[in-house]
Amino acid sequence: MTPPSQLNASAVADRLAEIVGDRHVLSRQSELLVYNSDGLPGYRRQPRLAVFPGTRDEAIAVVRLLADEGLPFVPRGAGTGLSGGALADDIIVVGLHRLKEIISLDIDNRRATVESGVVNLRLNKYVAPYGLLYAPDPSSEAACTIGGNVAENAGGPHCLKYGVTLNHVLAMTVVLPSGEVVDLGSKSGEHDGYDLRGAFIGSEGCFGLALEITVKLTPRPQTVRTLLADFMSVDEAARVTSAIIASGIVPAALEFMDGPTIRVVESSIYAAGYPKDAEAILLIELDGLEAGVSADLEVVRQVCVEGGARNVKVARDDAERTKLWQGRKKAFGAMGRLAPHLIVQDAVIPRTRLSDILETIHAISEKYGVVVCNVFHAGDGNLHPNIAYSADDPDESERVHSAMVEIMRACIDAGGSITGEHGVGLDKIGYMEAIFSETSLNAMCALRSVFDPDRRANPGKVVPVHSCREWNAVASARGAASVREPMPLAAEPARPSARSRNLESDLWEDR
Amino acid sequence: MPGCALPGTPLADALPGINACVHCGFCLQACPTYLNLEDENDSPRGRIFLMRSLLEGTVRPDDPSVQQHIDQCLGCRACEPVCPSGVPYGQLLEATRATLRESRPTPFLARLILFVFARAWLLRPAMFFSRLLAATPIPTLLSGVKGRLGFAMAMLASTGRSIERSRYNAIGRGERGRAATLRGCVMDGLFSATNRATERVLTVNGYAIVDAPGQQCCGALHAHAGDLENARKLARRNIAAFEKSGAEFIAVNAAGCGAIMKEYGHLLKDDPEWRERASALGSRVRDVSELLAAAGPRTGGALPIRVTYDAPCHLQHAQRVTDAPLSVLAAIPGLELVPLHDSDQCCGSAGIYNLIEPDTSDAVLAPKLANIRDTRAPWVATGNPGCLMQIGAGLIRADIPARSIHPVDLLDASYAAFGQ
Repeated sequence: MTPPSQLNASAVADRLAEIVGDRHVLSRQSELLVYNSDGLPGYRRQPRLAVFPGTRDEAIAVVRLLADEGLPFVPRGAGTGLSGGALADDIIVVGLHRLKEIISLDIDNRRATVESGVVNLRLNKYVAPYGLLYAPDPSSEAACTIGGNVAENAGGPHCLKYGVTLNHVLAMTVVLPSGEVVDLGSKSGEHDGYDLRGAFIGSEGCFGLALEITVKLTPRPQTVRTLLADFMSVDEAARVTSAIIASGIVPAALEFMDGPTIRVVESSIYAAGYPKDAEAILLIELDGLEAGVSADLEVVRQVCVEGGARNVKVARDDAERTKLWQGRKKAFGAMGRLAPHLIVQDAVIPRTRLSDILETIHAISEKYGVVVCNVFHAGDGNLHPNIAYSADDPDESERVHSAMVEIMRACIDAGGSITGEHGVGLDKIGYMEAIFSETSLNAMCALRSVFDPDRRANPGKVVPVHSCREWNAVASARGAASVREPMPLAAEPARPSARSRNLESDLWEDR
Repeated sequence: MPGCALPGTPLADALPGINACVHCGFCLQACPTYLNLEDENDSPRGRIFLMRSLLEGTVRPDDPSVQQHIDQCLGCRACEPVCPSGVPYGQLLEATRATLRESRPTPFLARLILFVFARAWLLRPAMFFSRLLAATPIPTLLSGVKGRLGFAMAMLASTGRSIERSRYNAIGRGERGRAATLRGCVMDGLFSATNRATERVLTVNGYAIVDAPGQQCCGALHAHAGDLENARKLARRNIAAFEKSGAEFIAVNAAGCGAIMKEYGHLLKDDPEWRERASALGSRVRDVSELLAAAGPRTGGALPIRVTYDAPCHLQHAQRVTDAPLSVLAAIPGLELVPLHDSDQCCGSAGIYNLIEPDTSDAVLAPKLANIRDTRAPWVATGNPGCLMQIGAGLIRADIPARSIHPVDLLDASYAAFGQ
């Protein structure tokens, strides 16, 4: 592999420009700045080059050139990720946002084939006239790409009932980091042999680039009803969440927003009419056949009222339903109103522990004097504590940082996991050893080697490199530098390895 | 931020607006330049990042690529309504352009245009000459010529293609209050028939028209180009003129002008003497469609034509006026409104952008023309002179059998048909 110091950036840029055209290769420092972060701008890494292929063939040619030169790279979709997964530290960004063709729509078999840069919401709008939808609906649906969704195995509010990206991708055409083009999965939905499609989805850009993706489309439900229940205590709302699931009803979505979040949203242009004095709301959506939904609606209403809901309101029409959802989906962006910087976590906990954990989070926020806004997929137990802060204030940054680490630890201690849908990326790599054994991490490394033996695709993400026994063995056999710094091009080359640091230092950047 | 690299500049003042951006990316798909140029440097999120970098000192104001990406912004503000954290993008852009002006010259053509528009004694003869030229067959003959000259000629040619209508006497009781109209520069020079139609339809709908002598160019072109000084100068003159008119409403039929006039308070926020007067005047500014919608508007005679509507960015995104123009069209019996796909997308006119950044402007216009062609409607209604000429010229050059027209002209024709 070519270390960055030896990379002749301008020669590589010229050759990339021969493939994609001058305009679609960036090599000036000032033009690469905007590619130094994704949806979590607390992390910044400056790429060396950025290249944006416009067709499938161009993308393959780019990857082959990089393979020939032994150059590492980072795939990028729309840059809306929330784990720093698309950051390239002095290496090459391969942006797939120009691959935005909807290649085919097969209404009879309810499937569509799209290029990886197609925006999630655009696909949904495209198939809506046929009574179909693409179910995974991350809150960034208006901006994020299907390719990015595949990389992160994206979820969204409606994944409670419908499942995540993995459950909706049938097949993919993938270019491996070696430049080899392979088809994974099957358009008919039946898999022969091992499910490599399943392994690829959620690989966070470490296994290669998905160029074409065939997705399953779902018929629009006959009836959709959305309820808004508001509570004067967080605890009541948490208990009602468990009670609804325990009732046997599977809502299409079950979302939780706490008081601070409600008030931020209500002060934004996406004000949805949530009661501003409430300490928590639940947004509950039921869908399916009219008869079943009506019966479920009454049960859910009853559970909410018995659990202490102050009001339970049912959206009258589509316009009101959309408004209620816009408030939820734009909540993350709306927090920009509170302070210039924002950090969001993505822990998953057993749903039954929701009430305790929210109490713990509250105690932690008081301890560190920070405001935590909780807005999350309650039905899945997928928490998203957000803290708005000013990174210019070192003391505040330190407190926010410590609070987040403590929150994550509490979630792990409660039997939870570190990511529900945002991916590990750079942000959570420091927690990997806290939840996986060395054996498990080695197994992940071994799997990665199947797709990318040279570790050139998105290096330094997901699995802490030093924890890969097998990789380290290979590295020393090759006479590579040291175990401590096994990959000169890893995302964090000049710093000490994650093991030698505590969790804190991995979480944070100095911005 | 610690250690601002450009202290005391308009950009440094705009820091709170920049800080509101959390980098969520929801603006990307709303941005015509991002969709066309496919580079985040040409997106709102990217440009805000560049603005922040200018303040941090990680890029310099004389960096040519920064200037290019800031110049390439249409200023359509389609990113504002989709921004959850309320970033005032239009203001940030103007502040950035004002700051960058210090370190590089404005292009000659832009300087010339802004110079003329700031001076009534130059503007009047310039418009007179344009009118004379428009009355000859020359613009039509030259409208097919490649490049900017041909496009400019097509723009002129498009101004002479309004709807035929008979004369009628506009009678009203003035019960809705006094309204002074902004005559405007381009509207007065090339769309004076629309200005007269505006007064007639307002009269019919219960507004008493009062004169506001001494009014000038609104200053929008100057503000968008970062020439805040001249924009403020013009704003002050307009505030004084409209105050003197005693009008309760300032009726504006050019979306771009209406947008800046509503924001005079922001433009003059640092001028203690004018700040409050500016805000007070801004609160009385209405797009003509808003005044008409508030009055119904009254139904006219039948106009059995097919019309599609294209929303001017500065009406839809900057002023957030979306339904009023549609209710104007709905008041015309027999008019069939054909939906226009992506009607909320910019047409690429953007003030003088189409003359300064022709390639991007053309790229943004192309899908607009294709969508108009798909409607098969012979009329495209839009309430802004820049959009009227941009779309009008595009239609002529692409040989699409449709014409652009101001909604007020259609309502006027309907009233004429009624024999008001």
